[in-house]
Amino acid sequence: MESLTCPSCGAALPVRDPGLPYSTCAYCQTLVRRAAGSVEAVGTVAALPADVSPIQIGTTLDRGGIAATVVGRVRWGWSDGSWNEWFLRAADGRAFWLGEAMGMFMLTSAYPAVLAVPAVRNFADGNPMARDCTVKAGGKWLTATDIKEAACLGSEGDLPFPTLPSWTMTNVDFRNAAGDALSVQRDADGTTAWLGEWSDLAGLKPGNLRQIEGWTKPGALA
Amino acid sequence: MTQPRAVTCPSCGGSIEIRAAGYTVTLACRYCGSVLNVAHEDVRLIKAYRRVAKDFAIALGTRGTLFDVEWEVLGAMRRRSGSAVWQEFLLFNPYAGYRWLVEAEGEWQFGTMLLDRPEDDGLSVTWRGQSFALDEDVQIETTTVLGEFYWRAGRGDKVQGATFMRGREALSRETSADEVTWTQLIAVSAEWISDAFVVKQKHRSRPPRLRGQGLKQGFIKAPTMDEGDLPAMLLMALAALLMIMAVQTFLSGPQVCADGRATVEVGAPTSTQPIGTIEVRRPWQFVTIAVDSDSFHNRWVDLDYSLVNRKTQQSIDAYGIVEFYTGTDSDGPWSEGSHHTDTLFSSVPQGTYDVFVDVGAHGWPSDPQPGSIDPANPWGNTDTVALWFRSCTGGFSWGMFWLMAALLFSVPVIIVWWRHEG
Repeated sequence: MESLTCPSCGAALPVRDPGLPYSTCAYCQTLVRRAAGSVEAVGTVAALPADVSPIQIGTTLDRGGIAATVVGRVRWGWSDGSWNEWFLRAADGRAFWLGEAMGMFMLTSAYPAVLAVPAVRNFADGNPMARDCTVKAGGKWLTATDIKEAACLGSEGDLPFPTLPSWTMTNVDFRNAAGDALSVQRDADGTTAWLGEWSDLAGLKPGNLRQIEGWTKPGALA
Repeated sequence: MTQPRAVTCPSCGGSIEIRAAGYTVTLACRYCGSVLNVAHEDVRLIKAYRRVAKDFAIALGTRGTLFDVEWEVLGAMRRRSGSAVWQEFLLFNPYAGYRWLVEAEGEWQFGTMLLDRPEDDGLSVTWRGQSFALDEDVQIETTTVLGEFYWRAGRGDKVQGATFMRGREALSRETSADEVTWTQLIAVSAEWISDAFVVKQKHRSRPPRLRGQGLKQGFIKAPTMDEGDLPAMLLMALAALLMIMAVQTFLSGPQVCADGRATVEVGAPTSTQPIGTIEVRRPWQFVTIAVDSDSFHNRWVDLDYSLVNRKTQQSIDAYGIVEFYTGTDSDGPWSEGSHHTDTLFSSVPQGTYDVFVDVGAHGWPSDPQPGSIDPANPWGNTDTVALWFRSCTGGFSWGMFWLMAALLFSVPVIIVWWRHEG
């Protein structure tokens, strides 16, 4: 693993995913932009609020026999709550987001094709998304159930965008009766679409879960 | 990041540890019952309450193992639909997520939220290839919340709840303004739950009681409701009401009463005391237990009544409470509660019954220290509460009678008013 040092505090700054431009220093919360071996401090990220998530940087999930490893996390806040999104890189180079909500997980991978759908293109152009809007993605029909304006509450590890407190996005979650999930996120860099499904933790065949104080991992996950 | 999150209740100042930090959005304070928004670092008061509900079958924070997973009770709610009242417990394990325990009249269900939703075709639904038939579709109101919740929970929340059954398994659909959630509920034995968790005695299973619902339905549906039939509607309503009175009087049968008294020390463990013997002479009768207490304040007394049949030793149980609180806040002095409570047993079979009460008195906001003197009442005998009981057969349910009267007359009265205005 390539290693850099934080330009602010000098601590080691491990490069977990060289394909990602941003990294948060675990010691001083400095957000660092990496480019061609050089590092540049771009600001300070808010400290992550305490939580009892079972995921941590280094947690692995099994995607059809291919291991994907968590390399970063962003925490989003909206008017009525907050949630984690974990960024994963698989051994074959694919990227995933793992969203956490209500003790359940939404694992998605990039699905740019849906950005051509008129309703989604209209949203990407800056217009609001209608709730109950139905789109077809990956041969499945999904309905917009949840639209949130979110602001960055903190981050750790390596991520594709700058997670400063001023960074905001609009997130639209689509779902269907089969448990499929589509997440469309619009921020200052543009709009991305991620398709996958809802699952409980055991269904993701996780490894290297976080040890949460006062709890033992259930037998199936240990 | 591994430190637990602690918040201070802005209403009572109590310190509360948040167990599901990162997920919990609403916290109902375990000291004062106030509902707090803890979604963000700054804790905000949503609604202040003065008192916390105590009568839950399992205490918050209790852990137990079900289906090989250890669960912690994070939150508790009391919910109501019509005359049915039940409790729901939110269970949590950080590796397994959330589950539910539902307790109604000593029967338990274990609930799991569904990610793959059933296909709905009106009167039945299909889930994982199996058909579930519609059992009921009713409005559900949350009357009390306590502890942590991952959504904006509060007293008075209303949802439309439909239940679809297949044997001992049920699918529950709850529809609120914001969303539809589906939960799979499977029946679990009360013994299993009390082995896994510490379940309070009065919520252990008991024989189901009959309910006098059939009569009520029949009379509500009786009056013809054509617009031109107003005088007839009023007459029919009056006739129906007289019939209800006659039927209720007939059902109530001869009235026989027994008196008893009990004294209970505040803060002492629950004690069982005999309060008389009554004889039910009809095949079925109402039994009413009225209780009056001395004029305490900032106390509550839990009353678990048992009518024990001398022949069969079977017991019929009911719950009552006397509570009275006073204080002063920004609106001035206030008081809540009553020193009198009536508890009605709706249908008691013929027989001779010894009446017992499990009685426990408590101080609010906390039990007094033994030997301490209440500054508000230094000369009073503050350590005990005296209670006078009167158990009578043949109770006449005035509550139900006036409900019937209101229901029967509401339609013609609204029509009269509407015509008068129009």
